[in-house]
Amino acid sequence: MILGLETSCDETAAALVTADGEVRANVVASQAELHARYGGVVPEVASRRHLELVAPVVERALADAGAGLADVDAVAVTRGPGLIGALLVGLSAAKTLAWSRRLPLVPVDHLHGHVASLFLEPGSVEPPFLCLLATGGHTLLLDVQDRAGYRVVGTTLDDAAGEAFDKGARLLGLGYPGGAAIDRLARAGDPEAFSLPVARVPGFDFSFSGLKTALVYAVRALEAGELERRRADLAASYQRAIVRALVGRTRAAAEALGAQKVAVVGGVASNSELRESLADAELAPLALCTDNAAMIASAARFATAIPFPDYLALDAYASAA
Amino acid sequence: MTILAFDTATDVATVAVVRDGEVLAERRSRAIRILHEIESALAEAGVERGAVERLAVGTGPGSYTGLRMGLITARTLAFALGVPAAGVSTLDALAAGSPGATPVIDARRGEIFTLQDGQPSVLAPEDLPVVPGSLYVGDGAVRYRGVLEDRGGTVPGEESEAHVPWARHHAALAADFGSAERLEPLYLRVPDAEVAVQEGRLRI
Ligand SMILES: Nc1ncnc2c1ncn2[C@@H]1O[C@H](COP(=O)(O)OP(=O)(O)OP(=O)(O)O)[C@@H](O)[C@H]1O
Ligand SMILES: [Mg+2]
Repeated sequence: MILGLETSCDETAAALVTADGEVRANVVASQAELHARYGGVVPEVASRRHLELVAPVVERALADAGAGLADVDAVAVTRGPGLIGALLVGLSAAKTLAWSRRLPLVPVDHLHGHVASLFLEPGSVEPPFLCLLATGGHTLLLDVQDRAGYRVVGTTLDDAAGEAFDKGARLLGLGYPGGAAIDRLARAGDPEAFSLPVARVPGFDFSFSGLKTALVYAVRALEAGELERRRADLAASYQRAIVRALVGRTRAAAEALGAQKVAVVGGVASNSELRESLADAELAPLALCTDNAAMIASAARFATAIPFPDYLALDAYASAA
Repeated sequence: MTILAFDTATDVATVAVVRDGEVLAERRSRAIRILHEIESALAEAGVERGAVERLAVGTGPGSYTGLRMGLITARTLAFALGVPAAGVSTLDALAAGSPGATPVIDARRGEIFTLQDGQPSVLAPEDLPVVPGSLYVGDGAVRYRGVLEDRGGTVPGEESEAHVPWARHHAALAADFGSAERLEPLYLRVPDAEVAVQEGRLRI
């Protein structure tokens, strides 16, 4: 079994996955409530919490799987990209666990992890496919030819889609994190009530910062007290604009690249309107859209393991570049 | 009794393997390499990892990120090896290396960590009550040498071993071994965002 650890942002997660891709345990301790009072993830607060949560989460995952460290064949961990202080907590724990039993360590690229949420059983997705990866930090179109990696064919030029959801939710007074809140509220609103344009940029790239500005103006144009009444319409219109941009670009890229299959992963893949709009695509299971360690252990099955003791001084990285 | 001790709270991370008071191996490095140094120190000491009976870890204060690497390593080691652990303040370890000296750790942002009436605290170097003729050790003392020496304090040369929180001292000072989960880092400051919320400066 592979023990996976993930601490790149505000989820402390551990999972046990078999070599065949079966999930034996998948424990996620979300810090969302902790960060709500700051209106977003505070790196130092997240790192402090990871330190407290890693051991309990790992022990819980082992207990859920009815396993002990002796059943673990390799330790997988997110090496980056993410918050450097947060990553180092998970990486240090993973290295130590691997060291204690002379196991190999598999450093995993977090984005490869999101893609690998599609490689777990049941229902593992066979490459090649074009993958829309939409999270709080990234919005990418990936050409996935095999399970070991991906090629970036499009990216956001400014905000990520999840970031756009979060900023919109904040403008609408829905708190943090905002994606799920907008999703819920949008169901009660009219998506055509407001026309919120999304900038069209060349190629397969995305741009969401203009949309956020459009929402600012739409909110400002409201009479005092009107926001409360129009909130659902604004949420629905805003969500519609983001989903349209994501779906439009993804379909255009799939056609241009001749992709036979389209897949969607990442936190924004839990959005109900996006899932309905891309119902014919391979959608990451709901439980595996936002950060988790099962996807990290899954990616490790197709990544390069570092044998003991070559990983003892391994460092994390904050950004891919 | 075989103790594995380490401290990653400052720029110079240290590791020691100590058996019944005898230092079998001791190394210095950086926090990110701590596990590598632990492996090397155990090998040098001829101690199998399964033969480690106790852990002693530096609880800071110091760099938040460095400090956490040491503590998570200690907590994970305690779990994986099934051994009890104890925390030792990095200031206490520094002080133990230079009896009579005042330990001063660089707290960044123009501040220092030091012991005041035996308690770890954070303050501006200018606010440290310097006793003329007395000794100041640690990376904070090196950084603020001018401030300390201007007021009559003595700071050993930059290369002096006195500025390093050698892990042999953690092993010697460690008491009250128990569950590693209880080991709390000495941050001594709340995160900036928390200060902003409390002062009503953060609008969300
Ligand atoms: N139902 C939903 N609708 C829209 N967005 C959602 C929904 N649920 C979650 N999100 C968004 O997903 C994002 C979190 O996703 P995820 O955990 O994959 O991102 P991340 O890990 O923070 O970013 P990255 O993976 O790029 O480092 C948040 O921005 C959140 O608002
Ligand atoms: Mg993520």
